[in-house]
Amino acid sequence: MSGKMFTRRDFLKVASVAPLAGALLPALKGAAAGPPEKVKVVLVRDPNALDAVGTPSFAVIQRMLDDAVMALVGEKDPGKAWRKIIKPDDIVGIKTNGWGKLPTTTQVEQAIQRGVMSAGVPEGMTSIDDRGVLKNAIFQNATALVNARPARTHHWAGMGSCIKNYIMFVPKPSDYHGDTCADLAAIWNLPHVKDKTRLNVLVMLTPLFHGIGPSHFSKEFTWEYKGLIVSRDPVAADATGLRVLQAKRRDYFKEDRPLQPTPHHIQLADTRHHLGVSDPNRIELVKLGFEEGALI
Amino acid sequence: MTEPMVPDVQKLSALIPPTIGPYVSEADQTFDAETIFDYIDGAGEVYRSYNMKLLVSRRFHKDGKPDIVVDLFDMGSPEDAFGVFTHDLDGEDAAIGQGSTYKAGLLSFWKDRYFGSVYAEEETAETKGLVFELGRRIAGAIPKEGPKPKLLSYLPAEGLVADRVCYFHNYSVLNYHFFVADGDVLLLEQTASAVLAPYMTAGGKSYLLVVGYPDEAKAARAYGSFAKNYMPDAEKSGIVRTEDRRWTASAKAGDTLIIVFNADSDQFAMNQLASVQERIKTAKKK
Repeated sequence: MSGKMFTRRDFLKVASVAPLAGALLPALKGAAAGPPEKVKVVLVRDPNALDAVGTPSFAVIQRMLDDAVMALVGEKDPGKAWRKIIKPDDIVGIKTNGWGKLPTTTQVEQAIQRGVMSAGVPEGMTSIDDRGVLKNAIFQNATALVNARPARTHHWAGMGSCIKNYIMFVPKPSDYHGDTCADLAAIWNLPHVKDKTRLNVLVMLTPLFHGIGPSHFSKEFTWEYKGLIVSRDPVAADATGLRVLQAKRRDYFKEDRPLQPTPHHIQLADTRHHLGVSDPNRIELVKLGFEEGALI
Repeated sequence: MTEPMVPDVQKLSALIPPTIGPYVSEADQTFDAETIFDYIDGAGEVYRSYNMKLLVSRRFHKDGKPDIVVDLFDMGSPEDAFGVFTHDLDGEDAAIGQGSTYKAGLLSFWKDRYFGSVYAEEETAETKGLVFELGRRIAGAIPKEGPKPKLLSYLPAEGLVADRVCYFHNYSVLNYHFFVADGDVLLLEQTASAVLAPYMTAGGKSYLLVVGYPDEAKAARAYGSFAKNYMPDAEKSGIVRTEDRRWTASAKAGDTLIIVFNADSDQFAMNQLASVQERIKTAKKK
């Protein structure tokens, strides 16, 4: 850490003129740079995304994802929409998240793979992996990455985010745990990752909004949101998912209970690493599907 | 004779019953401070920050019923077992060990140098009963109690919210409970020990932070760092009115740094500092 520290008092100065600055807490240290245009994030929800016992429906998930990709790139045909993201000669690594208590789900993984293949990529030029990405030949030679993981609160990073999902691209993840994972976005600048990500899917089917115990999980603190957040910008996707988690926490706890630790890696991905946009005012949120319980 | 505090997998495993009710246990998993990430990823940092030595994880299974998982940590010292327990104090008192909480299927407790977590993957009347029984049996198998951190004895009693006091060694955990700065402004560096204590008085909520350093020189450097980075406008007075119209004050007493945050008056802040200084003085005389 170099330069002036950002302290509680700096936050109090900002909070005295901007009461909603709390979400930005430590990241207010640096002003967001970059172009003023908004980045697009699509939130798609479907009441039938999960069946009666909570299993995702592949057909519904596929339709949700295709709808989101079409809205994202402004196409009315799913194949054309995917081809705006993925080229037929791409080698595509689909970075998933296999955490047993709340995985990306095979339905989402397969919907992504099918979408990629609809752009003309042979199945053999795709791979779905999490912890094995550094040893996976497809990922080693990937020209494109699709990033998919569930949204959840996290014991050390504040939020298990799209940004954080790339921690398996480094041999020693704990090297990025400093200041509660403040600089996770630096991973996205490594040569085998940089500029390869074409799509981010933050899975919001049953997000975890509060964690307990060593494993930081209890089913009691998940709920059926039945959504996907899709964007080319991982920071904007995460910032949007974070708003949903915070809204759910307010709803559940009947008070404003900020995430602990603060998921400041999301804002710092914007203000320090310039990976994307975290400011909701600079995000164009497109909502598809049912509105009830959307929370944002 | 004092028992040597050597982490021992077999001894740790032996504290956990092999069966509970109709459940039988599966093979243990064992982790240390290096391998804990294999079990709980980045969450392992919390336990590492409290100097964890060993973890034995045992899963109890019964067909058709939710699994129950015991995670029993040897933290190496009673102070750190207490500390990691204080990391999450939400829940009802379960009256197990030297301190415990229960919420949503999860029982947490500490006793001597051990921290235990017993978790039912689904909370039912039966699993809740078994979780409590497991906790009681494990705590009962730990032969003795251990001391709490001595810093706790420096805290004034009046207004103290005693069941929300937390103990730690680094700034990330401090910020988890109460954000101070995005760097190690207090030079905790995992070598200091600190208690953060909330106080509730007529003037509202304030916080008292007491940090013990390895030596006086380190405490002096930390005092200087805090003064420079957090309250440069206080100059030499050691007290400042912050942007929210509350008061922050700091003082040093030998190898100990004392800070009051969010006091409703300068008088209350100074009284808190003086009270801690007096307690430290008394303790040193003993």
